[in-house]
Amino acid sequence: MHNPYLPYPVRLAELRVETEDKNLRTFKFEFLNPGDEEKFAYMPGQFAELSVPGQGEIPIGIASSPTEKGHVLFTVNRVGQVSSYMHNMKEGDIMGIRGPLGHPYPLDKLEGKNLIIIAGGFAVTTLRSTIVWLLQPENRPKYGKITFVYGARNPGLLLYEDQWREWQKRDDIDVYVTIDREAPGWDGKVGFVPAVTKEVCPPPENTAAIICGPPIMIKFTQPVLEEAGFEPENIIMSLENRMKCGLGICGRCNVGPEYVCKDGPVFTLAQLNKLPREY
Amino acid sequence: MAEYIVKESALKDFFKSLTEGRKLLAPVEVDGKLQMAEADPENISINYTNTHMSPKSAFFPQTERLMAFHNDAEKSDPFVYKPLGLDNVDQTVLFGIRPCDARGLVVDNLVFQNNRFTDPYWKTKYESSIKIGLACHNPCPQCFCTSVGGSPFGEEGLDVLAVVKDGGLALKSVTAEGEEFLKGLKGTESGDTSATMDELKKAAEAKMPAAIDQTQVEAREIMDIYNQPHWQETADRCLNCGVCTFVCPTCHCFDIQDETSAKGGVRMRNWDTCMSWLYSMHGTGHNPRPTKTERVRQRFMHKLKYIPMKQNGNCGCIGCGRCVTMCPVNIDIREVARQMNQ
Repeated sequence: MHNPYLPYPVRLAELRVETEDKNLRTFKFEFLNPGDEEKFAYMPGQFAELSVPGQGEIPIGIASSPTEKGHVLFTVNRVGQVSSYMHNMKEGDIMGIRGPLGHPYPLDKLEGKNLIIIAGGFAVTTLRSTIVWLLQPENRPKYGKITFVYGARNPGLLLYEDQWREWQKRDDIDVYVTIDREAPGWDGKVGFVPAVTKEVCPPPENTAAIICGPPIMIKFTQPVLEEAGFEPENIIMSLENRMKCGLGICGRCNVGPEYVCKDGPVFTLAQLNKLPREY
Repeated sequence: MAEYIVKESALKDFFKSLTEGRKLLAPVEVDGKLQMAEADPENISINYTNTHMSPKSAFFPQTERLMAFHNDAEKSDPFVYKPLGLDNVDQTVLFGIRPCDARGLVVDNLVFQNNRFTDPYWKTKYESSIKIGLACHNPCPQCFCTSVGGSPFGEEGLDVLAVVKDGGLALKSVTAEGEEFLKGLKGTESGDTSATMDELKKAAEAKMPAAIDQTQVEAREIMDIYNQPHWQETADRCLNCGVCTFVCPTCHCFDIQDETSAKGGVRMRNWDTCMSWLYSMHGTGHNPRPTKTERVRQRFMHKLKYIPMKQNGNCGCIGCGRCVTMCPVNIDIREVARQMNQ
């Protein structure tokens, strides 16, 4: 019988400091056992429990795309016991990952649509996965126009800079990266995510929005999309809640009758409008 | 279906034969309280209202070891986890489960074996066990199984249903596993028990309180119940002590923690309670259920609205009345259910 509590052992192949404040690091893991990578078959939007023996587990969105073979990526903010421990790990160290968990973004149902992908702060992780996947030659033709809005407080807090600078050079995705206030040396947009969204938002016809960000960003971006004419069914969000099992059993991540881990973390605004705001 | 009688004089032989090849859990006194626990066939009670705690701990222990790890980086498998407790699991037979508690196990089973994942720690214990229920003649003042869709003679979740008759037992099998199991037992003689059971069932059901109307709770949208004004009043009394969640047969929440020693450690799971502020608190300090009001509402909404939505209308409360008995400030789920339905 498959034991979903048992993590796959992984080796930390590469550790990268993502932000100027050093609070975010990206962990590139390789599976220790042959065959585990195939068992960990995932899609953009899913997450995993990062498991450190003796410290515990944390649920973190998968930042790599399944099209990037040989490794999985996670970007971890330093907040508690497990993440602090992980920030002190060295390349070559061994730990566990358990998953994939949750449902991915409904990319199959979004085929034929234009997409606006909106990210704030370090919630960009699973959207990095999504964009890498969408830009694959075998996937890109299935979708219409793709717009990406990404904001952070200052340039030092933007993740994956090499990646989005590459995307900016492409003509099959419109990339708008913005910071809250003017900063020396910054050559991109300045302004909050909702304002930039309002400016660059494509017409709502045959378009879906995927949003991931801090509650304050979502609070002010949601009305922008609704005013632009987006139906709640076409506004897709990913939730976070405290979790333990990740399997819909231990209880704590529920939002109404839905477990963020098992039934989410991806929900449409239409679904969330019927549920308590317990997230 | 197989039917048997166990005469009073044959009870000890019957109980003794339950222990052959299986670990017997039955109502016995432990530290002055009647509990569903590993039982000496000599000391099993058949005259009781219900066990102090529910039988869920037979399959979902209050504390359970999930896996072990060592921290010797020199070994070839540093930090690789080894599952615990899944091999050579004791085959158990539970005698004396009350029908309400058996329905509770059915609710739990659909959580531990849900539409996406199977919990192997639950499944290996639950599915290999034989569950013998003991019907209720004399419901306690706090119980209300018939109000939430059950019966003091309910068979759901059981392999065998027994009833006390003339100081002995009348037994009938409910499942094929139960029928097979009864064949091998001592102290039994074949006998027609259906008529007896039907008669006793009617008498017992007549003693039960009227059903709690939940039609409005079922019909209303989540947010309409969520925003009702009565939650604040219930929360004002609640101490968030969590006793209701620990005694509840359908409360299945747990926490996972690592216990370490110099050489390594074990990953454990322990019962947890949604009454605790820490239960839902994010790493950032943000808490989606920051006050008692949200936490109290969560527990009742879960039992009476969310579980029915997820389990084909079946109520998450099975009417055992333990939370009513144990609550230090007399919060009564029957009263809350009525308020939710108003």
